[in-house]
Amino acid sequence: MSVDYLFFGIIAFYLIGAVSAVILNKKDAICAYTSFISAAIAALLGIIFSISVIFGDTFSYNLSGGSYLKFGFFVDRLSAFFILVISICVFAVSIYSTGYVREYFGKKNIGYLGFLYNIFIISMILVASADNAIMFLIVWELMSVVSYFLVVYEHEKPETRKAGFIYIVMTHIGTGFIMLSFLIFVGTSGSYSFGTFAEAGKTMTPLLKDLAFIFALIGFGTKAGIVPMHIWLPYAHPEAPSNVSALMSGVMIKIAIFMLIRVFFDFLGATQAWWGYVVLTLGTISAILGILYAVVESDIKRMLAFSSIENIGIILIGIGASMIFFASGKPVLASIAAIAALYHLLNHSIFKGLLFMGAGSILYSTHTKNIEELGGLIKKMPKSAMLILIGVLSICALPPFSGFVSEWLTFQSLLLGFNLNETFPMIILFISAAVLALTGALAAYCFLKFFGIGFLALPRSKHAEHAKEANTPMLIGMGIFASLSVLLGILPFYVLPVLERIAASFTGNLESFTFANFATFAIPSSMISLSTPIILALVFIFMLILSLILFLINRKKQPVYETWGCGQPVSTSRNEYTATAFSKPVQMWFKNLYRPARETEVTYSTSLYLKESFKFESKIEQVIERYLYEPVVGFVITRSRKLLVIRTGSIHTYLGYIFGTLVILFMFVIAGGSS
Amino acid sequence: MAEIVFGSNTMQLLIALILVSTFMILGSTRLYSCVRAFGIQSFLLACVAGIVAYSTGKNDIYIIAVLTLLFKSIVIPYFLIYIIREIKVKKEIDLYVKISPSLIIGGGLVVISYYLIRSINVISELSSFALSASMSLVSIGLFIMISRKKAIMQMIGILIMENGLFLGAISLTYGMPLLVELGIFFDVLIAVLIMGILIFRINRTFESVDTSILKNLIG
Repeated sequence: MSVDYLFFGIIAFYLIGAVSAVILNKKDAICAYTSFISAAIAALLGIIFSISVIFGDTFSYNLSGGSYLKFGFFVDRLSAFFILVISICVFAVSIYSTGYVREYFGKKNIGYLGFLYNIFIISMILVASADNAIMFLIVWELMSVVSYFLVVYEHEKPETRKAGFIYIVMTHIGTGFIMLSFLIFVGTSGSYSFGTFAEAGKTMTPLLKDLAFIFALIGFGTKAGIVPMHIWLPYAHPEAPSNVSALMSGVMIKIAIFMLIRVFFDFLGATQAWWGYVVLTLGTISAILGILYAVVESDIKRMLAFSSIENIGIILIGIGASMIFFASGKPVLASIAAIAALYHLLNHSIFKGLLFMGAGSILYSTHTKNIEELGGLIKKMPKSAMLILIGVLSICALPPFSGFVSEWLTFQSLLLGFNLNETFPMIILFISAAVLALTGALAAYCFLKFFGIGFLALPRSKHAEHAKEANTPMLIGMGIFASLSVLLGILPFYVLPVLERIAASFTGNLESFTFANFATFAIPSSMISLSTPIILALVFIFMLILSLILFLINRKKQPVYETWGCGQPVSTSRNEYTATAFSKPVQMWFKNLYRPARETEVTYSTSLYLKESFKFESKIEQVIERYLYEPVVGFVITRSRKLLVIRTGSIHTYLGYIFGTLVILFMFVIAGGSS
Repeated sequence: MAEIVFGSNTMQLLIALILVSTFMILGSTRLYSCVRAFGIQSFLLACVAGIVAYSTGKNDIYIIAVLTLLFKSIVIPYFLIYIIREIKVKKEIDLYVKISPSLIIGGGLVVISYYLIRSINVISELSSFALSASMSLVSIGLFIMISRKKAIMQMIGILIMENGLFLGAISLTYGMPLLVELGIFFDVLIAVLIMGILIFRINRTFESVDTSILKNLIG
């Protein structure tokens, strides 16, 4: 009973946040505090609620008793885990937001932002807890529409409106596919309740099952940002306010993953091995393409958005591997892969949230998100820089931070493919592992560029020179995520048993893993073990030795001269390495993919040897957008233009169309009636 | 009972007269006579409602009959005449389809409607007569909207369609709940008011109520 109160308490606090934002919208500061603090309280309740469901009974509550349309909530361990992820992110992001929205004071309507923010979170929680296809679609649409309004919050900018348009179109295409998938289930089960979908999944013909799988994959894949349905993501996430991008990238795309797990495992039973191959392949492609585009991107938030595609890919790799193992009757391995996916999902929410908040802090103090215009920020905003560094190390999967543990687990679960008896899945799993390794290396490259070019060396523009430290609430919000990143990296043996319970709820694995050992966690039946504390100690020793060596080398400080600069150390920002130059090698290695186009324009003053100005422009091509979407869009537009002739502008013609249709339908009825 | 009501000779006569009044609208070239014919049509419709009320003994339908008489055959026609006077429109009707082809098409529509209702088997022979008349009214109303240029004729067309729907509803259900009927009345009244205002505005903007000029609005 108390769980009921807790659940409605969460909703109530978000609603209070939303309503108070509207009421108080005349006073910016009070409005920001009430709406975001209320969201933070609701998030705390959400954490308590989800933990109590994970360790206790499933929660279900019926709103109305009608037999045909039963609206209700159902939270099992899997959905509780996602509510937990949402709540953790919302808690930190809400605190961050109270500081971040100061940017908008006096310029934008804070009440509007606070209202949408709270409604957005409610819709995500309801998506995770809906017990009925109709109710699910309603809250899913609510989530899409509200997030659209959040994306176009800064609607004065034309690129924001364009991003919003792409987002809303793609998300509706996705919802269309979701509806198709659900209708297949409804057609078999005769009910809209999710509870009956699982029964329907057992009795459906294989063809219907395959169709339901494909539609669900396209539908939810669009929201998750899986290649090739990802095109909205690099537009929409950068344009939203940074606190919203943190939630969208951190949480919203994960909700789609939640539904994928729900549909594949709970509804369809994950019986077909080829489903696993498809998911694994798409995951691998998403991972590598996402990071390849991230590497060459010089807009920070766009880069982070591409990196989200990469990480969704890694999560999908785990899920795909889990499906393959499950279909070949190895629930223990399936469970390990699922744990890896869930752990990476949790970690990604946290470090991507942290990085988006970090990008927000940079935007807040420099008013630019172009990496080329930054530089030297570590001296201007040292605290933010340290927190962002933790996020960067995490996303690069370096020990002892959280990204390392989950990516390591993903690798291990892929390599466990040698336990399978068939050759084909083994090959796919190993190729995927190889690509994942490349992805990891490129991710490190990408974020080295981000941190190195953005934070080190000298400021490259006025924006960066006048940067100042982010305000306290922002630092607290980022600090929460940074400390969680460290804790999840050092103490995985406290988290893994929880994830094991969740994974067991859908993979049906009964064998219990041993995580009891404090120093190491090991899964005996498959011989995986990892000791994070030992790694931590090794890292410390290594760092100690390294700094000692550096200290010994640098004892003799070299003097710095300014004059003519022959053989001198770099002293102005014009001599610095730029982000474009840094990513140039990757651009050259993968030039078949990027298809780079460059334009140079030189103007000379008096002679060919005296250059007055030099303009360099370099562009890369979005292959999927260019070769998959543009032809389709072009086709639709040219066909539509041809249809334009029927739009004459005359009322009489329009009425004539109605009249003609009516008469034809009359004839049809008469012909049908007489036969 | 249904068959008694709609099978009676008076009823058949009234319905036939309603159709005749529709053809009067279709065949006239003057705005005033169109409005007058519409008033007559509405009056006949009120009579139909009155007979249904008398034979079923439902008091609700009396109210509806009175309302029809009051609004559709008096208030709305006067309003239309007021509009015609105010905007000083030419009294002739501009046509896309000439009078004699219009009448032939109207006759064709009646035949189609008759066969259409016949092909729906569930309805009894006798009440199907009223229903086919209502179907004819709807389709002729739409045809008037298409073939006449003046905005006032579009208004009359939609009112004829409304009358057709009213006839259909009353012949199928012997009076819908009073609340629904009142809602529909209110709807029609407001629609007429809005259309009247629109006509004034079209007249002020284009100095004509010829709706074919609206073609210029296309982007």
